[in-house]
Amino acid sequence: MSLLLQYLASGIATGCTFALVATGFVAIYRVTRVVNFAQGAFAVVGGMSAFALLSHGLPHVLAEALAVLLAAVVGLLVGLGAIGRRGTPVLASLIITLGIGIGSYAVLILAFGDQPVSFDGVGGALAVAGVTMPRQFLLVAAVTAAAFAALALFFNRTYLGRALTACSSNPHAARLVGIDTTRMGLVSFALGGALGGLAGVLLTPLQPVAFNSDVGLAINGFAAAVFGGILRPGTALVGALVLGVAEALVAGYSRASFQSGVALVLMLALMVWQASRRPAIAEDAA
Amino acid sequence: MRRRLGIGLGVAIAIGTLLLPIALDDSQLTVYVFIGLATIVVAGLSLLMGYAGQVSLGQGAFYAIGAYTTALLAKLLGLPPPLALAAATAGTAAIAVVVGLPLLRLRGHYLAFATLAFQLIVLSVIGEARGLTGGDIGLPGVPTLSIGPVALEGQYRTFVFAYIVWALAALALLLNRNLVRSRPGRALRALATSEAGALAAGVSVGRLKLQVFALSAAYAGLAGGVYAFFLSYIAPGSFPVLLSIQFLIMATVGGLGSITGSLVGATVITLLVQVLTAVGTLPGMPLHAPAVFSYAVYGLVLVLILLLLPEGLVPAVQRRWRGA
Amino acid sequence: MTPLLSVRDLVVRYGQATALDGVSLELGAGEMVALVGPNGAGKTTLLNTISGLLRPAGGECAVAGRVAQVPEGRQLFADMSVEDNLRLGAWTVRDRSPARVYELFPPLAAMRRRQAGTLSGGEQQMVAVGRALMARPDLLAVDELSLGLAPRVVDDLAEHLGRLNRDTGMAVLLVEQNARLALDLCPRAYVLESGRIAASGPSAELGQSAAIRAAYLGGAMDELQ
Repeated sequence: MSLLLQYLASGIATGCTFALVATGFVAIYRVTRVVNFAQGAFAVVGGMSAFALLSHGLPHVLAEALAVLLAAVVGLLVGLGAIGRRGTPVLASLIITLGIGIGSYAVLILAFGDQPVSFDGVGGALAVAGVTMPRQFLLVAAVTAAAFAALALFFNRTYLGRALTACSSNPHAARLVGIDTTRMGLVSFALGGALGGLAGVLLTPLQPVAFNSDVGLAINGFAAAVFGGILRPGTALVGALVLGVAEALVAGYSRASFQSGVALVLMLALMVWQASRRPAIAEDAA
Repeated sequence: MRRRLGIGLGVAIAIGTLLLPIALDDSQLTVYVFIGLATIVVAGLSLLMGYAGQVSLGQGAFYAIGAYTTALLAKLLGLPPPLALAAATAGTAAIAVVVGLPLLRLRGHYLAFATLAFQLIVLSVIGEARGLTGGDIGLPGVPTLSIGPVALEGQYRTFVFAYIVWALAALALLLNRNLVRSRPGRALRALATSEAGALAAGVSVGRLKLQVFALSAAYAGLAGGVYAFFLSYIAPGSFPVLLSIQFLIMATVGGLGSITGSLVGATVITLLVQVLTAVGTLPGMPLHAPAVFSYAVYGLVLVLILLLLPEGLVPAVQRRWRGA
Repeated sequence: MTPLLSVRDLVVRYGQATALDGVSLELGAGEMVALVGPNGAGKTTLLNTISGLLRPAGGECAVAGRVAQVPEGRQLFADMSVEDNLRLGAWTVRDRSPARVYELFPPLAAMRRRQAGTLSGGEQQMVAVGRALMARPDLLAVDELSLGLAPRVVDDLAEHLGRLNRDTGMAVLLVEQNARLALDLCPRAYVLESGRIAASGPSAELGQSAAIRAAYLGGAMDELQ
């Protein structure tokens, strides 16, 4: 029983990081209709930068905050490449984000080397319900909850947040009231960057992160995002937690190598199911 | 007049590439073979992306499936190599149909991730089925390619492989050319312009996309089979996701949907990779230099091509030439 | 005096197709002008150019003030509340308070929290007009006000527009397929056909012209009487 709780706890922790990556996808997709293949890279940038800053003696919290900020800036740059030029077709933007993601490998290796890195988050362990779990788990859950709350407030209560929703709801009307949809797209990319960076910062103490960890994170994040049609962060959160727990259970009770397969199969199954509910013909790019 | 020039140029390229192997040494011939194999795969991918408008990040999966199927058919079942190749190609296409039926209903970005996931799953399955495929260690001892009693061994092995690959690549490009200009090709061209428009014109869009997907998989499977015979030893490590991305870059650089573009893209990128590896392994270069160079160049090439020359090299040159 | 809206030899293309082929028209401050014409004449293209969404391929389109558009088909942010829709209309101005719009359209105040997509056609049109008014425009461009609405609702809205024009001096460019409505409301009109101005002048005159009546006012029947 305690083993099960252990897996659950670990699954929820990783699930939270998936949720942050997923929400990054959602934030960008809603406004720009672009799937950002560099989303995983934001997490890697966040995690590895935090490691580097901490190694240089910066105190916790400051190092992590700066890392998230850096990831946001990287997000903005990706956005500039992907949608900065008006009239870039959506599929081209997608491939551009893919290209930047690959290019990031080179930069990351040069900056941080090609080995996985990790750092100590909140150290120590707590006994909860007879299970010893790392305190980092609680930190991850708490920060994720706070992030989601902040996002909800942002999108529903602030003018800028509402403008972003407007771009998603009706881009033509948004332009008519004077909203610069390209600039909003860049804002969403920066937001996606920050969310990805936060995921990386929270994850790295739990699982060492290397320059090519982005693929796994992106797949998990995307699978979770697909739960909500890449449009709803709340559903993505649920999906991410389910995914994290499922993977933890598979790794614990079955073979660890099957773990990644869970996300892949789940994502494929979901996508196919969603597609079957929609008409088979795609709308022409609008 | 222009058309005759175009055909003339095509013939020149054909003759040039036909004669080239004579002048190359063994390691250069190996590069030639790789370019040829890539051309075949990219011919299929270019068709898929240029006409069916689908982004596939999983051609490497079909390449791997073709390679392993061919190897296993020849090694375990003792099928004569040409038959093994043909069967593997057909089998790869069949798998593509099964996979494509649900996946092709998805929008472009979903499909990109789906094909990526597909490749990862395929690699994982190959790795797990140790008894059959040798797992992560790989499958050695692929029988030599032999046509009837004539076996390809010895000093001129690579030389002959170069011509086999030339023939298959030429076949693939010719097939593409005829496909695009034919009556079914008209449906393809309608699809490329507008899916809704094609549908309105009575084109069975779903079926067409599936056919192009299966064809692109067949190309990749065929190339993979030849690859297996060429190396005599395959492992999952030979088919990383990066390979699919390489194919994508080749198709994009050459020009989506362009026939000669497949050849140009495959050549440019393969040679580029050779140069980068050579530079990266120069004495004094850090260990991870080749990797860094590759990643940097892949990223830059992809981004720059899409931002500056989105149609690809060959169409851009054709346009310049036509407009001049 | 510079006119509020000055369009001269405007050419707008969509790829190869020419939507507007040398259009010229003018609108002074405080005027109410109608633009009538059949479907596909280029009326929406013209409005979108005036709103700055499209770039001309030739000629010029100059506005000496703020333009807000009430688009064809309302184009609300359907999943957002009425109040959010209104407040977003004020994106380019400082005052985001919808109080003025609620005064003008009291029913909207009662519906402020409702999701815009759940409203009736007439109510949505009110929101669309209100959203445009939030930008405090000098020129209100209205695209197909009457589309899909009951006549009584349309008359009501038209009355509002007329009153706004008289009370605040806001100019109105009314684009309509329903020529009778447009000519009744606006003293001056243009007729746009296939991307060109086919006729222009005081509405009273246009309303009498046999050609216009035949094409847009069911005049053929009248003439036979």
